Amino acid sequence: MRARITSYLVTLWVVLTLNFLLPRLLPGDPLAALLDPQSSDYVFDAEVRAALEACYGLDRPLLVQYGAYLRGAVTGDLGQSIRLNEPVGELLTGHLPWTLLLTGSALGLASLVGLLGGAEAAWRRGSAADRLLTAVSVVTSNAPVYFLGMMLLIVFGAELGWFPLAGGRTPFSHYDSIPAATADVVKHLVLPALTLTLSLLGIQFLLVRNNMVAILGEDFMLVARAKGLKPARLKWRHALRNTLLPFVAHLAAQAGLAITGAVFIETLFQYPGMGRLIFEAVGARDYPVIQGVFLLVAIVVLTANLLADWLNTRLDPRLAEEVSR
Amino acid sequence: MTEPLLSVQDLHVHFLAEPADGRGAGAVRAVDGVSFDLAAGQALAIVGETGSGKTSIGRALLGLHPPGSTWGSIRLAGLELVGSAEAEWRPLRWRRIAMAVQSAGTAFDPVYRIGEQIAEPMREHLGLPADEAATRAGALARRVGLEARHLRAYPHQLSGGEKQRAMLAMALSCEPEVLIVDEPTSGQDVLSRAQLLDLLRQVRVETGLCLILISHDLAAAAQVAERVAVLYAGKLVEVGTAREVLEQPRHPYTWGLLNAYPNMTTARDLRGIRGHSPDPSDPPSGCRFHPRCTQAVDLCRQAKPPLVEIGGRLIACHLGGLQTLLQASDLRKAFSSNGKGEVVTAVRGVSLEVYEGEVVALVGETGSGKTTLGRLLVGLLDADSGHVVFEGQDLAALNGRERKALRRRIQFVAQDPFDAISPRLTVAAIVREPLDVQRFGSVPERAKKVRDALRAVGLPAEPPFLERRAHELSGGQLQRVAIARALVLDPKMIVADEPVSMLDASEQAKVINLLKEVQSERGMGLLLVSHDLALVRKVADRILVMRQGQVVEGGPASRVVTRPQHEYTHALLQAAPALGWEVGQV
Ligand SMILES: Nc1ncnc2c1ncn2[C@@H]1O[C@H](COP(=O)(O)OP(=O)(O)OP(=O)(O)O)[C@@H](O)[C@H]1O
Ligand code: SF4
Ligand SMILES: [Mg+2]
Repeated sequence: MRARITSYLVTLWVVLTLNFLLPRLLPGDPLAALLDPQSSDYVFDAEVRAALEACYGLDRPLLVQYGAYLRGAVTGDLGQSIRLNEPVGELLTGHLPWTLLLTGSALGLASLVGLLGGAEAAWRRGSAADRLLTAVSVVTSNAPVYFLGMMLLIVFGAELGWFPLAGGRTPFSHYDSIPAATADVVKHLVLPALTLTLSLLGIQFLLVRNNMVAILGEDFMLVARAKGLKPARLKWRHALRNTLLPFVAHLAAQAGLAITGAVFIETLFQYPGMGRLIFEAVGARDYPVIQGVFLLVAIVVLTANLLADWLNTRLDPRLAEEVSR
Repeated sequence: MTEPLLSVQDLHVHFLAEPADGRGAGAVRAVDGVSFDLAAGQALAIVGETGSGKTSIGRALLGLHPPGSTWGSIRLAGLELVGSAEAEWRPLRWRRIAMAVQSAGTAFDPVYRIGEQIAEPMREHLGLPADEAATRAGALARRVGLEARHLRAYPHQLSGGEKQRAMLAMALSCEPEVLIVDEPTSGQDVLSRAQLLDLLRQVRVETGLCLILISHDLAAAAQVAERVAVLYAGKLVEVGTAREVLEQPRHPYTWGLLNAYPNMTTARDLRGIRGHSPDPSDPPSGCRFHPRCTQAVDLCRQAKPPLVEIGGRLIACHLGGLQTLLQASDLRKAFSSNGKGEVVTAVRGVSLEVYEGEVVALVGETGSGKTTLGRLLVGLLDADSGHVVFEGQDLAALNGRERKALRRRIQFVAQDPFDAISPRLTVAAIVREPLDVQRFGSVPERAKKVRDALRAVGLPAEPPFLERRAHELSGGQLQRVAIARALVLDPKMIVADEPVSMLDASEQAKVINLLKEVQSERGMGLLLVSHDLALVRKVADRILVMRQGQVVEGGPASRVVTRPQHEYTHALLQAAPALGWEVGQV
């Protein structure tokens, strides 16, 4: 496990560095956005510009900026937002819980439905139901998230009016009780989470189905059948249990996908998560915010990876042995 | 006779070919009409090459094939199983018929401990609580030679042999009435192979279950089962007692299989049966073995031979089994040496047979009468008494023309090629001579035959070599030319008299291997006359030992070399330095 953690730390450093370099490779710079000739408060003044650059440290050599950035990342000081003039750390802690709520619930739901549905389809491989589900999954997993979200928004938000159209909770509301607050948050969560679930579900389903079909063809499944075990035991205890291994291995990648999906969905539903923060920060070339957001996303994805790895060593005795060595 | 415990009648297993493979609908006929009965407590071995359908039979007995692919009849104590629904099969599986599968390496679920997997069917079928099932699994494991630590291990932590044992323990867990064991010894070293076979024998004795052993190893099969059924391309070709089938195989395929199988006791070089196993989705017409059979006749291509009883066993062959190519009975020959009436008896009452496609070595010291016997067998000499029958014709009854025609069927390669071949003839002329004598075909046809024969013995077939004269050739080349000359008429049998005695050791091995290769490719009979037991045992199926004009010992090469019965054979073996230790070991 130690070697694995070391490799994660190295990965983290690479991510940190890329995270520093990539925004700076984008055309334009933060001050150009601020000093937009189209904007009303446009003042082109070399002195003002120089003062601003000095204030945000953009005039220093790249290597020095990198050093400061690394130091900040380690100590948790992520700097000030250029656009909003707020500490990046505070911005992040305000937005992160919403994103975690959205991606977590979508990922959980998609996994549950994907596992059960995929297992059932694999068990009846070749049947009409299997072929239908597989076809639908291929379509939904390739449909743009934006499109899925719009459809849900139009049908359940606008037409039927069952769910609110936007936001993470009702603005300016005061709740008398925790259940009331929860109900409000859940109500706002349903459509975005459903959208994300739908966009993840196709892949989850296909992953489970195809892996389980392969496992059903393994020798040990034939032996299990020859042993006269009941179908339920064959399906769940042997086939699905083994399918969990590739499934969990893919879960980390799914977490990354979920967060990417969240960027679009949060914009569409004006959901107050990190997605919107990124969207706006990239538009404004707001380096510290971009860096902070991506850093956090990277940490979340890496943690998900580490967790999936750990979970797999618990699930697969063959890996457990390698790790203890 | 009481009703057998297990009765299989006309069992078929056909797999639908993958629809993805554009060629379409040719079904794989893995099992094509197999019948056998097994009484309680009996053991049957099903033997055949890879792909012959052995495993498919085993799986059919557990109803594991996709619905619709199995038909015929399988009756277990009177209960018809074919056509049962999955739910009807389930209580039978493992409880009444269990199978130790072929691929024990991948037969265990990788995420559960071995002990748990052995206990699983006991919980399922016998309703045992977990702790009792675990205790029983422990007892079973000890019985097959595993320890408690093996039960706690995960499958990937066991060796191949341990998994095979665990598989056996698992198969025995519900005390089935019928146990199928599929290739229990594949991939094992000699020692664990012997131990496993021992174990199977013990299990039989202790439990009295009905055993079906599936194997490609005839010898292993015969150690465990009293009856052997030989399977070829989904059909049974020979069924008999293990002893009979092993010691005197009667079907040409069984015979080939036995010769092809590596035998630990001889250093014999192996060559499989010529050709290769048929494509199960498009089996040959008639007898499925005919493309590889050395004795096939037209009927074999046209009609399927039924499995019928011949001499106490079942054989599927139009000719009733392996044919005798050459049979000699009580041959005698004496020479009056110098006109003074002094008589030397060279051959005194020799009887022998050579079967279709067989290599027989005739071994003996100088002057034991080997060459004389060889010449008698091909009709170059007339016997004083006794008969030589070749392909059903008594040589003594042939007239001159028939005798000439006989040369096309049986050829003689003389001891010393320098002696037998005129040194001034060219290679082409030497090899062509038999064709000229027989007035075979046109001149270009003869030239082609000559080239083919030369190629078959690994010589160049181009003009510069064809024009070389015999005296310009090396010993090895000349010996090959002599063999090519014998081959040029496509004979059914060759008698080769000391074909390599003039060559150095490495050439000897090469030429002897060449002879064997040509023989098995063309499906000829070969009688190899030699004084060198160490050399011929590498290629011979059977060895006859000759001394002072008599055959003093004969038998399968492996037996003669490892357990010689006659003291003279012993002496010959001792004289062959490379063999000394093998004999000492026995
Ligand atoms: N499930 C299947 N689908 C299609 N073809 C199959 C299937 N199982 C076996 N076959 C084919 O049936 C034929 C017989 O296979 P089988 O496994 O019974 O042979 P075997 O005698 O056990 O061989 P081996 O000695 O290699 O174990 C082979 O040609 C094989 O490819
Ligand atoms: S002789 Fe004919 S029937 Fe007999 S095994 Fe050979 S090919 Fe088959
Ligand atoms: Mg097999």
